[in-house]
Amino acid sequence: MKLILTDMEHFNIPVEGEHKIISPQGAIHPCTGCFGCWIKTPGKCVIHDGYEGTGIEMSKCTELIIVSQCCYGSVSPFVKNVQDRAISYVHPDFVIRKGEMHHKRRYQNVISMSAYFYGENITDTEKETARNMMAANAFNYDGVVKNVLFYDSVKELEDIIL
Amino acid sequence: MKIALISGSPKVNNSVSGALLKDLKSHLAKKAEIIEIGFHKTILSEEVLEELKDADTLVFSCPLYVDGIPSHLLSCLIQLEKVSWQNPNIHTYGIVNCGFYEGIQAKFALKLFENWCARSGCIFGGGVGIGGGGALNAAPTVKNGHGPKAPIDKALKILADNIIQQRTQENHYVSVAFPRFLYRMAGQMGWRQMIKENGGKAKDLGKRPDLL
Repeated sequence: MKLILTDMEHFNIPVEGEHKIISPQGAIHPCTGCFGCWIKTPGKCVIHDGYEGTGIEMSKCTELIIVSQCCYGSVSPFVKNVQDRAISYVHPDFVIRKGEMHHKRRYQNVISMSAYFYGENITDTEKETARNMMAANAFNYDGVVKNVLFYDSVKELEDIIL
Repeated sequence: MKIALISGSPKVNNSVSGALLKDLKSHLAKKAEIIEIGFHKTILSEEVLEELKDADTLVFSCPLYVDGIPSHLLSCLIQLEKVSWQNPNIHTYGIVNCGFYEGIQAKFALKLFENWCARSGCIFGGGVGIGGGGALNAAPTVKNGHGPKAPIDKALKILADNIIQQRTQENHYVSVAFPRFLYRMAGQMGWRQMIKENGGKAKDLGKRPDLL
């Protein structure tokens, strides 16, 4: 299954195969840093606003596709909010991976990440930051990065197929 | 000189980000006008934007969230980008703390502050990435340069000196002075204690819930 995280309210990009789209459908509450998704309702965020199950959705996907505005080299606030609320995808315990501390796997699926960033005048530095951030995300999920691409506008994205 | 210490934690009280700013403030005391502001929510008020207009220095302190900064803080930065700074040489510094042991894991979050500066007309003065954030609130105060927080205190003192002098520094990465295997063990014991306090069992930490 492909899981698509996007800040586009009216997502009209064609997607091949089984997929689920998480897009702005109602207000999303920011992560409060309570760790309830690890120590109260393990695997699921404790804030009930319709976005609490992203960690579970991630466990069912083989591909995680981000379609987002690029903000200083980061994903947009909405997409970041969804990611922040989905740390329950991983287990709170630690492992040492390539000499660094990371979180242990909760699930067995290996996520292949792709990112399609859009925005006017994304600088080369921001592109480099975005590539590094996606690589770091994939490493934390114990997954891999498939590709990270940049587009000048949302309109350019209409030509792609996910 | 007006320095704004900005906590970017979603927590209003008892945050590591706030505690680090308090420590930084102790090194800045009486050398500048200091204002303390919380960016705890997604929207910044007009009053806050007005208050920051004439700042000479911004210091952001936040936790590392999924390799970056918390989403609400990112949203605040987008609003702040549009401020017309009175001081054309306004400097911005960053402090990012993470629950992982290695402070270097905060490097991309600090890079976001640097990229934000490039768009908002600020000078990025560098920052500090701090590992072992999970232990900081419990660690004793530094005395005579000793204790688990000593390397962090040293890094904050250097940062404070650079802030006062309006100098830029290379990003500096530090960890708590506590062996990594013990930090890991203590952290994992903490999760087990917390889940039990919430009525669960240690094995529940690894639950794999399904959507209803």
